[in-house]
Amino acid sequence: MPLLNSVYRQREAGKPLVTLDDYRAAGGYQALPKVLAEMDPDDLQYEFMRSGLRGRGGAGFPMGKKASFLPKDSQRPKYVVCNADESEPGTFKDREIMEFNPFQLLEGITLAGYAIGAVRGYIYIRGEYEHQARVLDRAVAEARAAGLLGTGLFKSTFDFDITVYRGAGAYICGEETALLESLEGKRGQPRLKPPFPAVAGLYHSPTLINNVETLAALPPIVEKGADWYAGLGTEKSPGTKIFCVSGHVMRPGNYEIVLGETTLRELIFVHAGGLRPGRRVKAVWVGGSSVPPLGEQHLDTPLDYEALAAAGTMLGSGGCIVMDDSGSVVRTTLRLVTFYRHESCGKCSPCREGTSWMEKLLQRIVDGQAGPDDLEMLKALFGRISGRTLCPLAEGAVGPVRTALELFPDDWADALENGVPVPEPMLPVSS
Amino acid sequence: MTADQIREYLEPRRHEFADPRSLVLPALKFAQTGRGYLTREDMEAVAEATGYSASYVESVATFYDRVYTEPVGTRVVSVCVSMSCQLRGADQVWEALCDKEGVDHHHGGTSADGRITVQEAQCLGYCDRAACIQVDAEETQGPHTPDSARALVDELRAAPDPDEYWR
Ligand SMILES: Cc1cc2nc3c(=O)[nH]c(=O)nc-3n(C[C@H](O)[C@H](O)[C@H](O)COP(=O)(O)O)c2cc1C
Ligand code: FES
Repeated sequence: MPLLNSVYRQREAGKPLVTLDDYRAAGGYQALPKVLAEMDPDDLQYEFMRSGLRGRGGAGFPMGKKASFLPKDSQRPKYVVCNADESEPGTFKDREIMEFNPFQLLEGITLAGYAIGAVRGYIYIRGEYEHQARVLDRAVAEARAAGLLGTGLFKSTFDFDITVYRGAGAYICGEETALLESLEGKRGQPRLKPPFPAVAGLYHSPTLINNVETLAALPPIVEKGADWYAGLGTEKSPGTKIFCVSGHVMRPGNYEIVLGETTLRELIFVHAGGLRPGRRVKAVWVGGSSVPPLGEQHLDTPLDYEALAAAGTMLGSGGCIVMDDSGSVVRTTLRLVTFYRHESCGKCSPCREGTSWMEKLLQRIVDGQAGPDDLEMLKALFGRISGRTLCPLAEGAVGPVRTALELFPDDWADALENGVPVPEPMLPVSS
Repeated sequence: MTADQIREYLEPRRHEFADPRSLVLPALKFAQTGRGYLTREDMEAVAEATGYSASYVESVATFYDRVYTEPVGTRVVSVCVSMSCQLRGADQVWEALCDKEGVDHHHGGTSADGRITVQEAQCLGYCDRAACIQVDAEETQGPHTPDSARALVDELRAAPDPDEYWR
């Protein structure tokens, strides 16, 4: 199925929309005045719910439902927090939205703020996105000057402003409660849940946390209507989703597709330009590095939440990493585990120690130094890590290893026997 | 960086946070723009400007990869070595830069002339431009090969020092 660039306006416009005039010319800031004039917050929440929009940060939780969990009778101020930490290997969609269409995100955050009665929104952006943070800073200043943020928006009684907050290099700060800790000026380590952020989030106040792509979808949903959005895709996976395709493909990049209409094969071979001549797909991590890999036999899986779950993986963040048969599953799995070992915040021992042990065992296998028991020891570690930690980071390390062992037994047997030489990388395709 | 300079930076931002503790990380990042890393005096200045103890400030600083509590080079060059970049030659780029700057393949480090720090980075969110390299936190570029990466470092070495260090 073709791409549908209908939600994220920089894609529809085919060019960056970095000034307020650009964004307005592309249809921006029509949803907000309409909502403030015609809808009360509960109606807007209901509209979000009816659209069926699911969280695009990884877990896929329905956005409107999450907004409805915020207590209505709380005396404390409420907040919207936009998760712009985007650090999942293979994921680079939020970067595009923030860099080329910052106002759609600001409008989306403001709509979410109105729906829950928030006083302020925070965009928590990873420190490595300094360039994008500056684009957002300028957009916020421009929106303030134009009366689109501040007090009494569009002559209503709604006051709302947005703060851009920079992280400083820590994947774990993408986990929502670690993010809140970091935003509160502490070390970014996850909290015990419950209480959930909807009840006690930032500064113990009711807080709605959503991903950049989720929040940026709100203005078009309001303008074109929840029915329009819900009518795209499948019943349980409505709307469009940006997939970030990288690795061994000829045209790496972001592709916005209607959920359920496009298969993994079409994404890779039609949109992302396919592989080098003579190569075949070996493994694909379709939703970022935290999801179990798929093999060539899964290429006809439609890209939506349910179909991907049925195939044994997850849609995750939509960071689709493609590896052809020149790559090594074993080496790439080691690289993935190294990431989680490095990014484990150290709070929970099973994660801190477990990821480190997994890495050591995998390194031995790659180096051809593994003994016969090492694979069994690796498998035995899974159960000692899974389900024993505060946050799902460790699960993101275990799941892909477990599935890689199941799907590619021959590769592991060969590695145990001979180790794994460094494969020839795919060098830049001249453009 | 002095406590007064940090205070001046924080003042217009203070009203945005219900708890002033939220200012600690922005203060650390700002204090770092002066030298490119934080000295003990910088950390004490952050403590004074924010009203938290120096040991608390340090406990926050040491959590984050991009807050440097040891001296680093004039430019910090981060080579992404995560999966997508690895598939597109990141390890070769990394080794080329380490060799060029005379630092070891395991940890990277700072060149003898103090101009360049080479460090490994985890996914920088530019996997479509793998293998990618980031210079401080401001500019990420790619796709790089060992040759283009070496040329980039030559350019950085010849370039004037930045006015502020955002890393
Ligand atoms: C280790 C870890 C890292 C995460 N990183 C991110 C991230 O970078 N961006 C993001 O939006 N969500 C991330 N999440 C998911 C968030 O915890 C949270 O579910 C999400 O921000 C909710 O927004 P959504 O419902 O719009 O997806 C991460 C989760 C975990 C466990
Ligand atoms: S893997 Fe290198 S930028 Fe994502």
